[in-house]
Amino acid sequence: MNYNELTRRYFTSAAGAANAGQLRGADVFRGAAGDREQGTWVQFDLQIRSGKVTAARFLAFACPHTVAVSAWLTEQAVGNPLRSSLPESVQALQERFAVPVEKTGRLLIIEDAWLAAAVPAIDYGV
Amino acid sequence: MPVYLDHASTTPVDARVAARMAEVLRSESEFGNPSSMSHDYGDVAGALVEAARGQVAAAVGAVPAEVVWTSGATEADNLAIFGVAQYYRERGRHIVTARTEHKAVLDPCRELERRGWQVSYLVPDQEGLLDPQQVAAALRPDTVLVSLMQVNNEIGVVQNIASVGALCAEHGGAWLHVDAAQSVGKCPVHFPSLGVDLMSLSAHKAYGPKGVGALIVAERGEARGRGRVQLAALQFGGGQERALRAGTLATHQVVGMGLAFELAMRISSVETVRVAQLQHRLWQGLAALGGVQRNGSAARTVPHILNVSFEGVEGESLLAAVRPHVAVSTGSACTSALAEPSYVLRALGRSERLSESSLRFGLGRTTTEADIDAAVAVLTREVHRLRKIAGTAAA
Repeated sequence: MNYNELTRRYFTSAAGAANAGQLRGADVFRGAAGDREQGTWVQFDLQIRSGKVTAARFLAFACPHTVAVSAWLTEQAVGNPLRSSLPESVQALQERFAVPVEKTGRLLIIEDAWLAAAVPAIDYGV
Repeated sequence: MPVYLDHASTTPVDARVAARMAEVLRSESEFGNPSSMSHDYGDVAGALVEAARGQVAAAVGAVPAEVVWTSGATEADNLAIFGVAQYYRERGRHIVTARTEHKAVLDPCRELERRGWQVSYLVPDQEGLLDPQQVAAALRPDTVLVSLMQVNNEIGVVQNIASVGALCAEHGGAWLHVDAAQSVGKCPVHFPSLGVDLMSLSAHKAYGPKGVGALIVAERGEARGRGRVQLAALQFGGGQERALRAGTLATHQVVGMGLAFELAMRISSVETVRVAQLQHRLWQGLAALGGVQRNGSAARTVPHILNVSFEGVEGESLLAAVRPHVAVSTGSACTSALAEPSYVLRALGRSERLSESSLRFGLGRTTTEADIDAAVAVLTREVHRLRKIAGTAAA
């Protein structure tokens, strides 16, 4: 399997970066999707203050593409307003990280996990 | 370059072998067609081929006339399986093999099933070993072939071929084919005492060139009172190799294989012990990680192959993480953009996930303690990193 430079960079630096892990606190919203037994599982923790993402972490039992996209999303989200969608569309992420078409389902798992964290936060009105 | 720990996939060509092959290619007297009997050029090349035939035969205890050159073990497997099936099709159309065989055996068996043959696929125990009694139970009056590998290419376990050979001889009608591609230079291979009728060999697994192998076809069947195994040829056009494998022989290739096998015979017990110690060092280093499982029997294995499953990490990520540093194989056959879990490990009862997160380490002559220590350091760092990302650090 070949990976583009961006995927390699975010995959190999993901654990070293501070955004791999978990957050705790009343202002943290957690969402997960997928199943380790099925080969792909992703979890996001979003810390929301005044409608903005102030911190984000991820966990991923997944392929390098999924790990890299998850790491990138948590990095991109911080400092921006919380929205009820991914910071970038699945199609745009697929192109940016050169994710093979047969792995599109894994990007949808990322989207599901992200929305599982973000939507309750929006509904809660933070 | 990364540390090379994939000797079970292929080995580097021994420098002495490469030099000899280059000599043959450059020579002004050794380039002839070895089948040309009308001039000295042909005789010289023919003599080189026959000398190499003797070297290969000697390495496995066969006689030179039993060696049929092929392009590799895959072709040898195909010639053995289709050759027996075709020749004995009126006697019976049943074959016995194992689920853990190489694709070069399984795919021909699948093709024969499509053509109307029946195949029994034996399931090994959790350590990858077959009980010869499983073979005995699978033999039928219409069984014409049993095909089993001596050393499993993924997990390194050594099957009890001699016992299976005795069972086949007792049966009378079932010929025994053994894929011994992983055996030469790694464990004792003595063709006649194993009771084998057909044996596939490969040069490039034993520090020889790619593109050449051999099928050993027993001539001694009469001694066991059941005649000699016969094969139907699969290709035609010149009658070379006892009309079993037509085509002009590549002199430099067979010379390379001959020398590689002669050198393999000289491998001392000291070297075997050295590799075994390296394998032990590797396993001890990886076991210290926790959450690792060794695949295949530790007692009945060659020292050159170690297959390990790493719990709590995803398979593709594991391979991607170690790839820049260590050259190893997954247990997976990458038949598409998405890796498939190893069918060998699945046959041993490993889960799909664990099969995917397994690595095969192939040790060889060039492997050093420093290589092993570097591999252990990389695996330790990357497995910890991936478990942290996956939230399975306690695995």
